[in-house]
This record gives sequence, structure tokens and C-alpha cells, in this order.
Amino acid sequence: MSLPFLFRVITRDILKSNICQHVQPLHTGCQLLAADKALLMKLRKSTGYTFINCKKALEKFDNDITQAETWLHEQAQKEGWSKANKLEGRKAKEGLIGLFVGDEAAVMVEVNCETDFVARNEKFQQLVKDVTFATLAHHRNKMQSKTGYVKSVLAGDELSKLRMAEGASLADQVALTIGRLGENMSVKRAVTVGVPSEWHIGSYVHGAVSGQSDVTMGRYGALVIFQGGKEEERSTLGRKLGQHIVGEAPLSLGNMDDLPCGESETRLLPQTFLVDPSRTVAQFLRGKEARVLDFVRFHCGETLSEERE
Amino acid sequence: MAALVGLRACFSALQLSSPSFLHSSYKLCAVPLSRRTFAAEAKKTYSRDKPHVNIGTIGHVDHGKTTLTAAITKVLSDAGGANYKKYEEIDNAPEEKARGITINASHVEYTTANRHYAHTDCPGHADYVKNMITGTAQMDGCILVVAATDGQMPQTREHLLLARQIGVEHVVVFINKADAVEDKEMLELVEIEIRELLTEFGYDGENTPVVIGSALCALENKQPELGLNAVMKLLEIVDSYVPLPKRELDKPFLLPIEGVYSIPGRGTVVSGTLERGIIKKGDDCEFVGHNRTFKSVVTGIEMFHKSLDRAEAGDNLGALVRGLKREDMRRGMVMCKPGSIMPHQKVRAQVYVLSKEEGGRHKPFVTNFMPVMFSLTWDMACRVTLPTEKEMVMPGEDTSLMLTLRQPMVLEKGQRFTLRDGNRTIGTGLVTEIMPLTDDDMCNWG
Repeated sequence: MSLPFLFRVITRDILKSNICQHVQPLHTGCQLLAADKALLMKLRKSTGYTFINCKKALEKFDNDITQAETWLHEQAQKEGWSKANKLEGRKAKEGLIGLFVGDEAAVMVEVNCETDFVARNEKFQQLVKDVTFATLAHHRNKMQSKTGYVKSVLAGDELSKLRMAEGASLADQVALTIGRLGENMSVKRAVTVGVPSEWHIGSYVHGAVSGQSDVTMGRYGALVIFQGGKEEERSTLGRKLGQHIVGEAPLSLGNMDDLPCGESETRLLPQTFLVDPSRTVAQFLRGKEARVLDFVRFHCGETLSEERE
Repeated sequence: MAALVGLRACFSALQLSSPSFLHSSYKLCAVPLSRRTFAAEAKKTYSRDKPHVNIGTIGHVDHGKTTLTAAITKVLSDAGGANYKKYEEIDNAPEEKARGITINASHVEYTTANRHYAHTDCPGHADYVKNMITGTAQMDGCILVVAATDGQMPQTREHLLLARQIGVEHVVVFINKADAVEDKEMLELVEIEIRELLTEFGYDGENTPVVIGSALCALENKQPELGLNAVMKLLEIVDSYVPLPKRELDKPFLLPIEGVYSIPGRGTVVSGTLERGIIKKGDDCEFVGHNRTFKSVVTGIEMFHKSLDRAEAGDNLGALVRGLKREDMRRGMVMCKPGSIMPHQKVRAQVYVLSKEEGGRHKPFVTNFMPVMFSLTWDMACRVTLPTEKEMVMPGEDTSLMLTLRQPMVLEKGQRFTLRDGNRTIGTGLVTEIMPLTDDDMCNWG
């Protein structure tokens, strides 16, 4: 039992001696340091990196703030990786679903972290955004030659290999965020959907995070692919259907003529419609002259069926 | 100053533990060494001679929340006010992370010279909000831990936001890892920064006490001015800066009525458990609820068929009241100090909706859902109105919502209630604001 404690003490001691070594040569430049309290404050405010690293950076580059900043970014990437390796294996069950719907294409991703404190953080939300757009770009690349309905599901390891617009891989970006926020994170899964022009994509995100404009994020997300419906009603129709899917969690689509079998119905079409309990989903769709073709539902932190096995 | 407190803690602890101390030394001869501590522990009883306060540590991951907690128990265990808990005992990470239905609200306790503390940890934002709503654990104050090496970090902000949201008024700052910082001026910068942050979140950043120290030094018995003394100073400040919660006895009395009886030759008696305050014979009282109000006087109080002059919060009692008939009153009304509480029909509330695993519904609900609201001894049908940005509420979530009752009932800010639908409990909540009733609300009830 005392072994990990002993280990911690030792590592701390090593760390401390490391720090001391760093500091030693700097003692000569001590008066220099005192003058640049303001610079240190400024660098810390603008970058948000830890005090000790900001100080190190300033000392290293003789108070050149731009050089210090680039060094800090590099350092953050390195520290992120070491932190990521250290935290690997810690359970990450919280997080966010990010959803983006463009013309004839939609992306939904899940990124996990350990606590919901982190899920509320802007830096984490930025990560979700990066993942969403990287996946979208990947999808657009693949789609160039094809038309028709395409739905592809990407698992975590495939996603990590994707590159962002600036060239860094998603795995690097995740590690960087881990370094900043100090919690284990992972990109869990993503789904991309491309539809022909006469089909439509409806979406709903539950528990949406405010302040995110282009990518909506929340704890639950749903994509619905449907046909028909009146032009001006389509967005509300898609939204209502998405809401129903998030709320009732259907497992399969079912047929338009299926008879509902009570409370435990898991097929979408015979389920009682959430927004209007007097009708089933199929009846609602008939009234709107629409057809649901497919749907996807993500619940943040849910265990996937393959994992359970 | 700190030494003085230490001395006081020592003294009071000695006073406290002297009988059990005797016992354990007596046991010492008879019990083998390995079992001795258990025998001594079994003898301990919880003594209620010091006021109880709930406290928590908040701060960024790896800034030393758990180390500080361990250090506090170590420092106080030297004075006899706590059992020393090692870092590993407090940080039972796998169990803490694998969250069940309720969270492990607090598992560390300690006693200072003046108070008894229960220590709470924050596993997650949603968990804590849920705890606040259901009333599992409240924090009367908290210690914000910031590492001197890092300064404030992302989670420092999120935790402070949470503290603000759940109504923690008193924050004490502990700047940890001061031993790892060579430059004393950097400590000042960290302090300035944290004061700015506190002000940003609406706390009194200028006057918030800040203690600089190192929990690790306290654990390893190094550099006493940063270790032991800093922790003692922190405890001393917590003792004086975090005020005692207002006790139920000091509030105006409130008796939710459970039953009404008429006793031939004496008059009408109402029974119930006194929720708060003190009732004395001859007190004026008011009956409120179910669209009725009466004023009367308490002419006698009885408990277990014995009459008494004064009853305190928590007592189960019968009160004889003057000049009222049994038919005037019914279960669900309250007897209270005149004017202290009013019936209301519309409130804003913070509600936690039980997940399916906790026995709640598996389906979400939307606006105009009609559950039955239970609070004190009454129950009443009500209608839910969700805030405009929310379209539905999923099980396992917490939300703010509006409740309109079919009839006005006794409600006040801070009152707890339960929502049920059929034979299922949907959720539990806390009244956050009393709302005025509009004509619109009336016509909706038909």
C-alpha cells in the first residue's frame, strides 16, 4: 500500500531536483527576472500556461515574449503526450456529442472526458469542434466521386489518424488538450452521413451547450434521414423527429404498418410520438406526407453493444 | 497565534478523549498488538458537543486537494482531533470514479478546537447539483486549493462557478506547493491572480483570506512554517471565517399537520412533527393551507400523553388549540407563527429527475406534464412549464422549471418536494423562487 506513496515521493524528489537544476543557472539573472514581473503576468494571461512554465520560457529566451510563446506551445504538446500516456486507462465517461449538419451531409462525433467540469470548458469544446470538422473534411474527400446515400461509422483509432486543416493529427490535438486540462480524454466514435439531394437530414441535440454557434454540442444527439414533408416545415419536422429519437431511444426503424406493442416498443415507427402522445410516429409521418429512412442516436457515455460483449 | 490554537486543540482533544484513552490503555494489556486499534475505535462514540460544519475542497486536478485533506487529518490527529488518513485512503479513485446512484458525499471528518467538520469532495458538476437539490450534502464553506506552481487553471474556474451556483458563500484560499517555488514574488502573483478570479465570480476577492503553504511539507514534517503552521493557520481561518449555519431552533416555528383530532371536554388537537422553531404554551399561531387561514392560540402541548411547556424542532407532538373545530382543519395545512409563511400557487424550482436505474421514468417529459407534488404533509396536482430554451427533460438530468399548483399551498424558498406520477417517483426538487400568478395560469386549470 505504501509503495505508490513511496513512488510518488521519489518522483517528486526527482522532479524537485530537476527544477532546481533548471533554476540554478538562472540565479545569475535574478535581477533581470525581477524587472519582468509584468511580462510574466502578460504571458500568463495571454496563454494560460502554468506560472512555472511561463517563467521558464521567459528566462530561456531573455524575455522575448513571442519566442517564449512558441516554446510554450511546443512544450505543451510534449507535456500533453506524457500526460496522456500517464492518464491512459482512466475511465472517461463524460463528455460531449458534437453535431454539424451541412448541405446533404452531416457529422456527429462523441468525445469523452472524465468529469463534466471539463465538458463545460471552452478548450474541450474547441476540441470537439476540431474533431467534428476534421471528420467532415474526411467525409467530403471520400464523397467526391460518389453520389447516393452514404453512412459511415468511424471508431476511435481511425479518427485519431485524421488530420486537421492545419496539418496536426487529431491524436496530437487530443494530447494537447489533455495537457491543458489534466484529464484523460478520448475521441470515441463518429458517424458521417451523405444523402442525395431529394433526401433531408433532421437533427436534435439535447442539453445543448450555449455559446457554440456552428457545431451544436450536448449530451444526446440524433440524426434523422427523411424524405418528403413540406418545404417550410422540414426543419421543425426533422427537429421533432430527432427529439423523439433522443427521448424514446428506438433501436430499429420498423414498418409503417407495424402495430404498436405497448410501453416497451423499441421500433421507431410504431412508438407513441413524444410531442403528440395521441398518435404513433407512423401516423404523424403520414399526416406530414413524409418517410423516415434511417436514424442515428448518440448518448454520451453509453456503452456500445460490441463493448458489452 | 497558530501555536495558541494548536494548544487549544490539544487541550480540548485531551478533554474529549480522556475516558476512551483510559479504556484503550486498559485494553492494551489484554489484546494483542494488531487488534488494539480496533478495540479502541469501537469504543468511540460521536459526541455532539461541538457545532457541525460541512466543508469541501475545490480546485484543479493535481493541485493537491487530496494531499491537503490528508495533511489536515495528519496535523489534527497529532492534536487528537482526527484519524490520520493517508492520501491513498482518501483518494480511492476507482470507487470514486465509478459513480453509482448516490455519491460518496463525505468520508473524512475532523475536529478543531471549536468545531466538528465533515469533508466533502466534488466528483462532478451534475453530481453536486443533484446533491444540492436532494439535500444530501451542503457545503457551508469551501477551501479553494491552487498550486503556486501553476496558478489558476481551467478547473479552478469551473469549480468556483459551481460553488457560486450552489450557493457557497464563503471561500478560503490555500496556495499549495509553495515549497516548489523559489521566487517569493511569484507567490504574490498567484495570490493577485486568484483574488482577481474570486472578484470575477462575485466573491469578495479583496478580503478573502489566503493562506500560503505546502500540504506535502505538512505530511512529511518538513519546513514547519510552510507545512504544519500553514495548515493550522488555514484551519484557524476556516474556524473564524466560515460562519455556523443558522440552526433550526432559531427560526419561527412550523408544524405541518399530520392529523386533527377532537377530544371531548378539551377541544381540538393537531398532531405532527415540529419542522423548526420552538412552540410554547400560550403562543399565537396561524393555520394556513387548502385555501383557508385561521388564527388561534396554543393552549397546551403534549408529547407521549404528557404535557410540556415547550417543544423543539424534531419533536412529535400534539397541540391543543383554542376555538377551532376539527372540520376547520385537515392534513396538509400547517400551524405556524402568524405571518411567517404564506401559501403560493406558482414557483420556480430546481428539480432533479430520477433516472430509470434510480426508480424514475424511462421517458422524458415536456411542458404541460402534470405530476403530483408532495411536500411537508400535503400533496397537490401541478403543471410543469419548462424554460423556453429547454424542450424536454431526460431522466437523470437536473433542470430549472416552473410549477403551477391547482390550489395554493404552503411554499417558501428553499422548501424541498417530490414529484410523482401514478405510483412512480419522478424527481425531487427545491423551490428557488416564488412567482406571481397570472390570469393565464388560472384559465388553464379550467
